[in-house]
Amino acid sequence: MRLQLIGAVTVVALVARADPAEADASTSPPAPKQSSVVASASGEMAVYADTDHITVVTPTATATVGDRLSAWTVRGQYLVDAISAASVDIVSTASQRWQEVRQAGSVQGTYKPGSFGIGASAAISSEPDYLSLAGGANLSWDFFHKSHTFFVGVAHAHDTIGRSGTPFDVYSQALNSETVNAGITLTLNRSTVLSFVDEVGIERGDQSKPYRYVPMFGADVAPTIGKGESIDVVNERRLQVRPLEHLPESRERYSLTARLGYRFGRGTLRIDERLYTDTWNLHASTTEMRAYWDVSRRLMIWPRLRVHVQTPVSFWQRAYVATNGPGGTLEVPRYRTGDRELGPLESFGGGAGATFAIGRDPDPSRLALTFQLDAMSTQFLDDLYVSSRMAGLATLGLQGVFE
Amino acid sequence: MLREVPLGVRLAMLLGAATSVHGCAPVAPYERGRLAHPTMQLEDMANPAEAHVNAVHEGATGGSIGASSGCGCN
Repeated sequence: MRLQLIGAVTVVALVARADPAEADASTSPPAPKQSSVVASASGEMAVYADTDHITVVTPTATATVGDRLSAWTVRGQYLVDAISAASVDIVSTASQRWQEVRQAGSVQGTYKPGSFGIGASAAISSEPDYLSLAGGANLSWDFFHKSHTFFVGVAHAHDTIGRSGTPFDVYSQALNSETVNAGITLTLNRSTVLSFVDEVGIERGDQSKPYRYVPMFGADVAPTIGKGESIDVVNERRLQVRPLEHLPESRERYSLTARLGYRFGRGTLRIDERLYTDTWNLHASTTEMRAYWDVSRRLMIWPRLRVHVQTPVSFWQRAYVATNGPGGTLEVPRYRTGDRELGPLESFGGGAGATFAIGRDPDPSRLALTFQLDAMSTQFLDDLYVSSRMAGLATLGLQGVFE
Repeated sequence: MLREVPLGVRLAMLLGAATSVHGCAPVAPYERGRLAHPTMQLEDMANPAEAHVNAVHEGATGGSIGASSGCGCN
C-alpha cells in the first residue's frame, strides 16, 4: 500500500514537472493576473556648503507611477531647500546671517502608446520673497524603425519677485519667461546614442535683486580697485551713493546641447556639451563627462567631471563709475550688477557616486541606495570681494520599485 | 525669432543632425539590449540638488530636457 502511494505521488510529481502549466490548472486556483502598473518612490537628502559661508540642506521626495501596457507615467516631486547664508555680499551690506526656506513641487505626465507621445508638466517654487509658477507641454515622435526620436516642447513661467516681509501686493516685480525647445535623439548603432537639443528662452520683466546694492566709484578711483578687493577697501574708496542692482528687462537665451551615450562591456560613457549665448552677451560652454561602471550586479560606480566657462554680460564692470551730472547730481550707469554669475568665471567640478542594489533576488535593483560626493571650484575672474569659491555637495538617496 | 539665433549655433545643429541621420542604419529591437541600460537614457543625469547647484552657479541655462532614445521597447 505504501509502495503504491509512493508510486502515485511520484507519477503526479513527474507529470507536474513535465507540464507544470497543465498540472497547475488542474490542482491550483488560477494565478492572479500580474499588474502592468509599476510604481517607484525615492527619497534623497543633499547637503551643500561653500567657502562663502552658504549652507543648504535639501530633502527631496519623488514618486512615479506608470502602466507599461497603456504607456502612461505620472511623476511628482517635492523638495525643500533650507538655506543659511552669511556670504560676502551680505556682510558687505552690514547685514546679518539670514536663513530661508524654499519649497518646490512639480508634477509631470507622459502618454506614449505608439510612435507618438505627449507630455505635460507643472511646477511651483515658493520662498518668502519669490514665487514661481510654470507649466509646459511636449510632443515626441519615434521614426526610422523607432531608432530615432524627434521631440519639441514649450514652457511658460511666471515669477513674482518681492521683498521678504513685504506682501506681494505691496511690492513685487513680475518676470515672464517662455521657453521653446526641439531636439532629436539618434540611435547610431547598438551601443551608441547621440542627442541634440536646441533651446530658446525669452524673458520679460525686471529680475534685479531688490537687496543687491552696487558700490560706485569715482572715475579716478575705479582703475585702482583690484580683483577680489576686500570689503574694507571697497567701503573706504567707494562713493556714498550705492544704488540697487538694475538689469535689462528683456533677455533672450539660446543653447545647443549635444549628448553622447556609449555602452561598452559593463560600462557607459556619457559626454554632454552645451553651448550658450544670450542677448546680454554672455557666452558659455559647459562640458560634463560621466563614466558608469557596473562593478557587479549589485554595485555601480561613476566618476564625473564638469567644466563651465563663461564671459561676462556686456554691462559687467568690476568697479562701476558714477559721474557728475547737471545740478550737482551723480549719474550712475543705467545697467549695473554685482551678481557673480553674470561675470566672467571658470568652474571645475568633480566627484563620484555609487549605487548599491540592496533588494532581494532575482532583481536586487528594485531597492537601491545611492551616494554621491562632489566638489566644485569656481574662479571669479573680475569680481569684488572674492576671487574663488570652493563648494561641496553630498547626496544620499534611497529608491524602491513596486509592482 | 530664429533669425536671432547665432548662425554658428544653427549650422552646428543642422550639420550634426544631417550627418548623424545619414550615417546610421536601423537597429533592430533584439539588438538594443545595451541601449536599454538606465544610463543610456539621454536625460540630464544630475540629481535634483546637483541640478539646482549647477543652475545657481552658472550663468547659462538650457539643455536639461531630453527624450528616451527610441529603444523600441513598446
